Amino acid sequence: MNFEWTEEQRAFRDTLRAFLKAELPDDWESIAHHGPGSAEITRFSRRFCGRLAEAGMLFPHWPVEMGGQGLDAWYQTILAEEMWAAGEPRGAQYMNVNWIGPTIMRYGSEEQKEKLLPPIVAGNAIWCQGFSEPDAGSDLASLRTRATLEDGKYRINGQKIWTSYAGLADNCFLLTRTSDDRKRGITILIVPMDTPGITVRQIPSIIGEGDIHEVFFDDVVVPEGARFGEEGQAWEIISYSLRNERLGIPRYHLARATLDRAVGLLKANGRWEGEAVKIVAALAAALCETARNDCYAIVEKRVQDLPIGAEASSARYNVVLAERAVAEFVVEYVPQALIDAEPYLKMHHQRGIVAGIASGAAEIQLNIIATEVLELPREPR
Amino acid sequence: MELSISEDQRQILDALDGLAKPYASVPIHDISFALTSDALDAELAGNGFLDVAAMDDLGPETAAMVVERLARLPFAVETAATALVRPLLDPELPRPLCLVEDGAQGNAVRFLKPGATVVVVGAGGVRSFTASEAHIATAHDESIFAYPMAVLKALPAETEMRAYDVPAAQVLTQWRIGLAAEASGLLAAALAATVTYVSERKQFGRPIATFQALRHRLAEAQVVSNGCYWMTMKAAVSGDAGDAALAALHAQEAARRVTYDYHQFLGAMGMTLEHPLHLWTYRLKALIGELGGRGAQGLAAAEAIWG
Repeated sequence: MNFEWTEEQRAFRDTLRAFLKAELPDDWESIAHHGPGSAEITRFSRRFCGRLAEAGMLFPHWPVEMGGQGLDAWYQTILAEEMWAAGEPRGAQYMNVNWIGPTIMRYGSEEQKEKLLPPIVAGNAIWCQGFSEPDAGSDLASLRTRATLEDGKYRINGQKIWTSYAGLADNCFLLTRTSDDRKRGITILIVPMDTPGITVRQIPSIIGEGDIHEVFFDDVVVPEGARFGEEGQAWEIISYSLRNERLGIPRYHLARATLDRAVGLLKANGRWEGEAVKIVAALAAALCETARNDCYAIVEKRVQDLPIGAEASSARYNVVLAERAVAEFVVEYVPQALIDAEPYLKMHHQRGIVAGIASGAAEIQLNIIATEVLELPREPR
Repeated sequence: MELSISEDQRQILDALDGLAKPYASVPIHDISFALTSDALDAELAGNGFLDVAAMDDLGPETAAMVVERLARLPFAVETAATALVRPLLDPELPRPLCLVEDGAQGNAVRFLKPGATVVVVGAGGVRSFTASEAHIATAHDESIFAYPMAVLKALPAETEMRAYDVPAAQVLTQWRIGLAAEASGLLAAALAATVTYVSERKQFGRPIATFQALRHRLAEAQVVSNGCYWMTMKAAVSGDAGDAALAALHAQEAARRVTYDYHQFLGAMGMTLEHPLHLWTYRLKALIGELGGRGAQGLAAAEAIWG
């Protein structure tokens, strides 16, 4: 075993840090704390991701034939860590390089590839994913937004909710129901967000701007060519896509960086005294590092092309514990910093709540662990 | 980054599993608080499994793997101190090794018995002596902690102890790694025993494992227990004081979180000596209080990380 980064990996991280230092404005942290879905970061991301693409660091983990450098998942992890800890200047575009782009490459038609990939590789594409609905959250397969094929066109009616980045997105990766078969009746449509009949309402939130929306589809009509994959193939496709996104955002890295920064503040202010603060900080650090180790064990599997099972859920749950522990530490020992002095701490604290809710609730992860890791007999349905 | 185990390590663990197989289970109704096996102890020592830390290409990480694997057995064997601390001092030191901190007089010590090597660590440096009846107040063959334990009555005079030119901090680091490795194995075994029981035990016409009240708590236990393994491995590989303190802290925190739950899930069976669960959980309870407990581990980690 070796927990050290290679020289090449360290150099890659250094390059990213130098790039961030050069590209981010002096007041970046006061912009970043609005969240990756905010208008400010979205606007900034279109320029920043373009620069990142020019520097060859927007999608270095993509295959060479797709314009990437064919670097392994460790590099993707380093990229994600540095970007997320910096306040995610890629905004919503991190999704593009993590899974939307690779999914288009694998399942898209030639026409879709030609149309949809260039803006992504240029760093100028904002996507939203139309998955959750008011009655289909954790139970995603019960979604009801209906798409009906009529005269070579799909007519869409229904509602999505909790849709990140919807207000500023160019396209929606939309899950629709085309038949009553629970999973095989779901079909993906790529819908431009300026199509008539789409209404977006941002939901006021405590986690930052632009992150959660309701999206209404009222007689929205798109050509049959908007279908992505075959009718009923959505479940297979998103299962593949989310494998690329299994661990999602490297929240453990920002959590640990936030903790280090909070401790630095306490020390600078003469408040790193007594035992309690140190013990609580260490408990939070332990959770950050155990979450990191769990995630790295899965990255290793990706690198070796080994199947990834429910251990990803275990890692995800550890990340939730780490995020909470750090946020609680800051509230308890550095509360003043959350008012206005430290946008970085505020950013983490605002968004720490997301870890256990987004991309599959923490309780769903526990269900998966119980059934697939511990192999407990299933609950009756 | 390379988180897979090597072929050499795999072979060692396979051989270890082969050796340990006859000791993997105990007849129900035949369990005391502290279950030991001189035969297993002798086999392990004789086959060199506890000496892997000093071997080329194996090192402390392999020693930690061995300790973790052996802690899953129902039999308590002194492995951690021998496998991880002894190489720093003298590979020929007689076993069992008992690790104590300065000022430990009056404390119950795991595996303490006449003939054991007691290693004393602290501000006074690192010293050792061979325990005799004179040093031991009470033997607790039936200690509630499921380890053979005895109370250390007194330390010999400094002049009667052998001193080592090894920093105490280095010994403490390896001690913490050993503690975390042992806790990782105990946590895994206790979880497995609990999972088996709740999957078989039926109430209201179905296995109690199908009730979400248990499923989620067991799943959380899996998360924190699995985390211990990786924290241990990282600390064993790096030998870093901060990594070791975090690993020990996380292990003690995990042990604290799960031990009562596991007995709770076994219902009245969890109160008996007939089910082996206590062999792992009550050892975990001993480890919770070792080296000053979570508070001391937290302070050590904070000092190592942030100064």
